This record gives sequence, C-alpha cells and structure tokens, in this order.
Amino acid sequence: MERHLTAPGVRIRGLTVVYNTPSGELPAVSGVDLTLAPGTITGVVGESGSGKSTLALSMLNAVQPPGRISAGSVEIDGLGDVVRLRGEELRRTRGRKVGYVFQAAQNSLNPLKTIGAQLLDLGRSHDVGDLRALVRDARELLGRMGMDGARVLDSRQHELSGGMRQRVGIMFALVLDARVVVLDEPTTALDMITQATILRIIREVHDERALTTLVITHDVGAVAEVADDLAVMYGGRVVEHGPVAEVLGAPEHPYTRGLIRAIPRLSGDLGLARALPGRPPTLGTLPAAGCVFRERCESSLDLCRTAEPVPAARAGRTVACHLPGPHAVPVKRKEYA
Amino acid sequence: MTRATANRAGALARRVAGHVARGLVMIWLVATISFVIIREIPGDPVLAMYESMLQKGMSPDQAERATAVLYGFLPKGSLWEQYTGYMGSLLHFDLGRSLSTPGVEVTSLIGSAASWTVLPVLAGTLLSFLLGVTMGVYAAVRRSGRLGDLLALSGSLLHGVPVYVIGLLLTAIFATLWPILPSGGPVDVEFTPGLNAGYLGSLVRHAVLPVVTYTLASYGGWILAMKSNVVTVLGDDFILAAELRGLRRGIVFRYLARNAILPLFTILALSIGMLFGGSIFIEEIFNYPGLGLLLVNSISSRDYALMGGTFLVITIGIVVANIVADLLYSVIDPRVRSGGTA
Amino acid sequence: MTVTALPGAAGRSRRATLRRNFWRGVWRVLRRKPSRMAGVAICALFAVMGVAGPLLYPAHLPRDDDALYAPPSLSHPFGTDFEGTDVLALVVTGSRYVLLTGLATAVITVALGTAVGLFAGFRRGWQDTLLMRLTDLNLAIPGLPLLLVLSTVWKFESPLEMGLVLGLLGWGGIARAVRSQTLSLRERGFIEAARGLGLPTTHIIGRELLPSMAPYIAMNMLIAVTGAVYAQVGLFFLGVLPFEANNWGVMLNLAVFSGGALTTPAALPYLLAPLLAILLLTLGIVLVVDAMDEIFNPRLREE
Repeated sequence: MERHLTAPGVRIRGLTVVYNTPSGELPAVSGVDLTLAPGTITGVVGESGSGKSTLALSMLNAVQPPGRISAGSVEIDGLGDVVRLRGEELRRTRGRKVGYVFQAAQNSLNPLKTIGAQLLDLGRSHDVGDLRALVRDARELLGRMGMDGARVLDSRQHELSGGMRQRVGIMFALVLDARVVVLDEPTTALDMITQATILRIIREVHDERALTTLVITHDVGAVAEVADDLAVMYGGRVVEHGPVAEVLGAPEHPYTRGLIRAIPRLSGDLGLARALPGRPPTLGTLPAAGCVFRERCESSLDLCRTAEPVPAARAGRTVACHLPGPHAVPVKRKEYA
Repeated sequence: MTRATANRAGALARRVAGHVARGLVMIWLVATISFVIIREIPGDPVLAMYESMLQKGMSPDQAERATAVLYGFLPKGSLWEQYTGYMGSLLHFDLGRSLSTPGVEVTSLIGSAASWTVLPVLAGTLLSFLLGVTMGVYAAVRRSGRLGDLLALSGSLLHGVPVYVIGLLLTAIFATLWPILPSGGPVDVEFTPGLNAGYLGSLVRHAVLPVVTYTLASYGGWILAMKSNVVTVLGDDFILAAELRGLRRGIVFRYLARNAILPLFTILALSIGMLFGGSIFIEEIFNYPGLGLLLVNSISSRDYALMGGTFLVITIGIVVANIVADLLYSVIDPRVRSGGTA
Repeated sequence: MTVTALPGAAGRSRRATLRRNFWRGVWRVLRRKPSRMAGVAICALFAVMGVAGPLLYPAHLPRDDDALYAPPSLSHPFGTDFEGTDVLALVVTGSRYVLLTGLATAVITVALGTAVGLFAGFRRGWQDTLLMRLTDLNLAIPGLPLLLVLSTVWKFESPLEMGLVLGLLGWGGIARAVRSQTLSLRERGFIEAARGLGLPTTHIIGRELLPSMAPYIAMNMLIAVTGAVYAQVGLFFLGVLPFEANNWGVMLNLAVFSGGALTTPAALPYLLAPLLAILLLTLGIVLVVDAMDEIFNPRLREE
C-alpha cells in the first residue's frame, strides 16, 4: 500500500462550540487555538467538563446536538477546513481521512454483527474496490496488535474483552489508512496491564504509519507516556500547550500545577497528592468575565477578575495566565525523567 | 467450531425445553381449573345430566357411560377417579361432546372455530407490528417535534384503551353512522362457500373491521416499545461510532433498526396472547365465529364441556405462540444463540 | 427497631427542603405541558364523580316513558336510554362501582406484587426461583378467558370481590419489575451498605428500598386501575355476570345487545357515553403517568 511519508498537520483556530441549554447557548469550547505538528502525538488533558471531548468531536465536525460549532476552523492538510464540510463530503472524510477511536468502556461496535461484517460495511461505505485486501489489512493490523485477526473478525462484540474491543476500535480507525487519528479516552476503564499495551500500540502504530494523533484523556500519566506535546484544557480553553516534558516538568499555569499535584503516585508519599480545591466548572458555572480559573486559583490577582488572559508564548510553550512565570515552586521532575 | 455449534444447539434446546415444560405446567393448571369449575358449578351439571339420563329410561351403566362421553369424566366416583378420568381423556385429545350442539364433538367445534380466530389475529399482529414499528422509528427520530409527540400520545392512548372500546367505536362509525362495512358475521349468506369472487370478497369485507380492531389494539404497544427502543439505541455509542467511521446513512439506519426491533420479539409473544384474550370481545362485537365467541356462547348456554375445551385450546394457543416467539428471538439474536445472557 | 439517632432536627429540615423541591419539580413538569394539567384535572373529576356523584341523584333514577332514546338535549346531554332514563345520570351513578373495583384491584395488585418482588429479590436463592416461576405462570395465564370461566361459579357480587379476583390475576408484572429493581439496588451495594451500618431488615426495606421504588409502584398502581376498569366493564359488557347494579359495562351490554346501538343510530348516544367515559379516564391516567414518568425519571427528559 502506498504510504505518504509526510503526516498532515492540523490547525485549530478560534474554535468555539456552544451548547443550547434552557438558560441559553453556553460555550463548551471558547476560541481555542491549537496546532498539531505533523507526525506528533498531542495529548489533551483536563477534568471532565473541560471541553476536551467536544474538542475531539470537532475534529470530525461531529459535535452532537444540542451542541454546535459556532465559530472557528479546523484545517487539516490535504482536506481543508473540516468545519465547512457537509453531507457526503463530510461522511467520506470521517473514517477515511480522520480516524476516531472511542472510549474503551463504551461499546463502539454493533452488537449484532461480526467484526468482519462491520468491516465490510465500512469498506462499502467508502467505496473500497478490493474488499479482500481490506480484510487482509484488517487481519494484519489486528495481528500487529497481538490478536488472532481471523478469529476476531469472526467474533461479535460480546465475545471480546474490553482491551480487545479497544484494539478492534483502533483497527477500524486505521484500516482505511486515515492519517489523522483522534483517540477519546483510549485507556479509561482498562486494567493497568492492558492500558500499557494499548499505549504501546498507539505509539508504535503512530510512528510506523506517520500519523498525526490527538489523544484525549484525563489521565496525566498515560499522556506522559505516549504524547510528544501536551495541551491542558480548563473551562473550554487551552490554558497551557507545549512539549510534554516541559509542561509536566515545569508547569507554568497554576491549573497545570494543581493537576500534576493531584496525581497519586504508585511509589512515594501518598500525602503529597493533593486534590485541586473547588469543583470543576460546568457549562453554567463558568465566570462570565476574567480568567475562568481564578476562583480555584491559589494565586489570583485583581487583574484576573476583569481581563481574560490571552495565550502567549513563554518558556517554549503557550500559556494563558496573567501571573508572571517562572514560578518559585517547581514540581520535582524525577517522575517524568 | 463444531463444538461451539453443538454448544449453541444445546443451549437452544435447553431454552425450548424450559419453555415446553413451563407450557405443559400451564396447560395442566388450566385443565385442572376447568375440572374443578365443572365439578363445582352449582347444581353439579354432570350429576344432573346423569340423573336426566336415568329419567329418560337408561340403565345406570348406560347413563354413566353417556355422561362420561359428554364431559370426559364419570358422574360418580371419588374426586381422584373423576380427575384421572378427565385428564386421561384429555391425553387422548378427547374433550367430550357439546350439549348446545348435541352430539358434536367439542374438538370438531373448536377446530372449525380456530381458523376464524387464528387468521385475523395473525393478520392483525403482522399489520400492527409493521405499522407500529415504522411509526415508532418516526416518533423516536422526531421526538421533539409536534408530529412525533402526537404519534407517541396516540400510541399511549390506543395502548391504554380496551379493545372493546376500539371495536365498538369502529362499528359505530363504519357500520352505523356511515354504513360502508358490515357490522357483523363472518360472511354474507347469499354466497356459496368456495373459491368464487363473491364469497371471498364478502369474506374480506367482513374481516376488515375485526382485523383493523386487532391491529389498532396492539399498534399502540408496538409504537411505544419501538419508540423507546430506538431512543435507547440512538443514545448507544455504536451508532455515533458508526457515523464517525463514515458509514452510509442507510447502513447506520439498518444498525439502528435491527438493534431496536430485536427486543420486540419478546413482546410478540405477549401481544399474541393479548390478542387471543381480545378475540373474545372482538368476536362478540362482530359476531365472528371464532374461539372467543365459542367460549362466551358455551358459558351462556351452560355447555360446560365446550367451555372447558375452548379455555384449554386458547391456553394452548398462547403457550405455542410463546414458544414460537422465543425461538424466533433466539434465532435472530446472536447473543442468545451463543448461550450468552448479555 | 432501634432508633437511629442520625436524622435529627437537621435531617428533618433537610427532608422538608427536599419535599419542597419535589413539589416545585412537580409543578414545573406539570406547567411545561398543559396537557398534563388536563390529565390531573380529569383524574380529579373522576374521583369526585365516584365519591359524590351518586349522591346527586335519587336512588332510583327517574324514567320518562315519553322520551325513549331521546336525542341529546340540554336536559339530557347524552340523551336517554331505552327506559327514558338520563344517560349522563347513568354514567355518573355507575362510576362508583367501576372506580371502586379499579381501586381495590390496584391496591391488591400493588401490595401483592411489591411483596412478592421484594421478597424474591431480597432473599434470592430457591425462594426467588419458586416465586419467579409463579410469577411467570401468573403472567402467562390467559386472564380474560379464566375470568369468564370463573364467572360460572362466582358472581363477583361486590366491587371488592371483583377487585380481589382481578388483583390476584394481575400482580405478576409488578412483582417482576420490583424484583429486578431490588436486585439492581442490591448490585449497587445499596443493601450491603445498609447492612454494614447495622440497620435492621425492616428499616432497609421500609426506609431505603421502598422509597426508591415508590414512584414506580405508584405509576403501576394507576395503570392497574385502568386495567381493572377495562376488565370488569368488559365482563359486564359480555353479559356473563348478573346485573346487580348499574355500571358502565351493563350500559354497554344493554346498548349493544338489547338496544341495537350498532344498527340504529338513535341508540348511539347511549353506547357512546360510557365509551367516552372510559376514553376520558384513560386519557387522564395516561397524561398523569406521563408526567410522573418525567418527574421521577429525569433521564427520560427530552431536551
């Protein structure tokens, strides 16, 4: 099969997604700018409600009602602005150009059909001429992920374990040779060993196929293992974005610091893990003006109440915070060495 | 692979065996109830019959035998003897003889009535299933619209309204106020039975109102069930996943429809059972000579052997419908087929 | 039962707040769709009709030999019957028997079904298996034919007797649903947690399980009322029961089989009045159940 050696780049600009609620349209994602460099894995972390899943769906222009993309663009090399795609064009993009992998705990497979039959449905939907070659590719991909391809294709969802389903999901996202892959919580609800395997597979396949990958997760540990870049989201905004080692090693944004401090370690003092104060914001509870994080911030300024911080380049990354960095209390680096 | 197939066949056989066993218990229970009731009826019709035979000048032996033929058990003797006698003749498919149609065997009366019930019930079930499922999908997809709301409400109402109300209203409208259809009977008498256009046309015209009543009576249940199933499946992740994989709309719709329809097959059994029950009202209203009318008439003419037999056959019909529906379900749902209980 | 000191004054006031919030929620749900208000109004109307209706009329309704099958007019909104009696008066006075049976049936159905379901789900093991087999039988038994056959030996003279029989025939659905609810609460560690706190079984059932199932049970009770109304009106309509007193089923029977309402349009109002009463009652209960559904299952709320 023909392999492009250059992975496509993705540029999200001014993306705003609003949800229609009884109290009016509320933004879940507000004016997000995010660039995915070609051939990298970008992790997006944030608490639930930070808008990260909405961001992931926006990559396929698939925000579900009552939500809708109200402004901004998602430019993918070779595809153009996904937000403008409609109808058949959009359908052909999904799956073929942009692959999407669902959460492991969720069931992304039709329970009544064998994986093989669903694979053929996929092939027919995208006018694949050689269905036999498609099945061969699928088998090979499954084998690549440590499974008996022929047997898996002959199985139904209820005959597969969570980890196997997740790998089947990854197969479906890759088998049509999509170059941009979005993974939504790929390791949630899997046991530790399976998590590690899935993360290794993501990394390997990514390198092998020259993909541009976006991994959505609330698990900072998983991101540290697999991603090149890291974007931290809070209240529908990207508050910090940069190389993963830098962001986790010397976090600039107070929210990133809080997030890292909240991770309990397998080794080390449990008492060091500290939960973030306050509650994660929901659509309705976001402050109307100023910095969205200020109410939970340990060092907010007067300025934070009135002006929203603009993302700015600082220390090799983008940070949206009024506080001047670098900060006095850096988190110890050794866990991420 | 072969072992897996064998396992599947085994699981299926066990399911069917379970149903058959439960069905047999039900039939036995109903037979026992019939027996007890016939014995407990004030004035003991069996003994009364025996005595009237004696008065007609039969010898005690003859009278005893004649009564036994009528009711399927002896007029005298201990409870146990009577009971085993009754059950024994049931095992030989002997339901006794009718009193109201003297001398005719109950089985042959039931046999000729059965087709007048089974065919309209099946036609009604099929029609209401098709109609209800289609409308259910529509009501689910358009559930926030006015028409979808209206459809769901019509479903709740029709589901809630008793079948005789539907039947009476239909008759009042289409046979009394605006007489375009016959109000009762199975066929017009002026036609000679057989495969001629007049007879068949009359047959169909007379079947319209009963079948429509059956259809409307169970349509509400289907539309409600299908609507809620579609809404559930629409929220399932695999539908969104299929869309995000760029599957054609038609294929996504098939995924949706098949997953939503499947659970309905368990209701199919209940629906057929309900229609058998409903057949009593419908046949009474339209004077349609099926099992339901036979049961009501046997009660009003105190023809107890016929009553017991009809009751038993209606029960058997429901039991068989249950087994068939379950078989159908296990053939269609792979999760059941492979013995899983997902 | 040991007194649990936990819910003190603070607990009580919190409970009061919860109750206030609940009623506010009820009000909101009702107001969102005016049809639900209509449902509540209809149900209330029938309740009043059943309780006070018969008091409005003399024990023996007046006949008017000059107005047999009179058409609807101001003095007879639904016309008169074959004896010249006002049809509306017949519907109103007949409602008590009908609704009383419905109520009796619902109470028996719900009490029996809940008890069996709770016991089966709570105990599990062989008692559960046995009870569920019984429930299966109860669900599969052809109820109406059985009622007809029973009518040959039992005359169901009072509404309560009728309710008892209908209730005994109809508890299966609720039993199964309550059992599966109990099991699912159990799976969520509900019962074990309560046990772990040392709460007695009566407390677990009475204070923890039942309240969480109460809405479901209440909805089923309403549905059971309609089911019972249909069944007994149907039995009288078929004419297998002796006509002890006036009720809607007797009216239907007389209209159809003696009055010839299906062949002579003049008798139609006599037939339609009880039918309308049944339809209206169904509509009211369907609308109320719909509202209850939304109050208690926020999950079902459509945006």
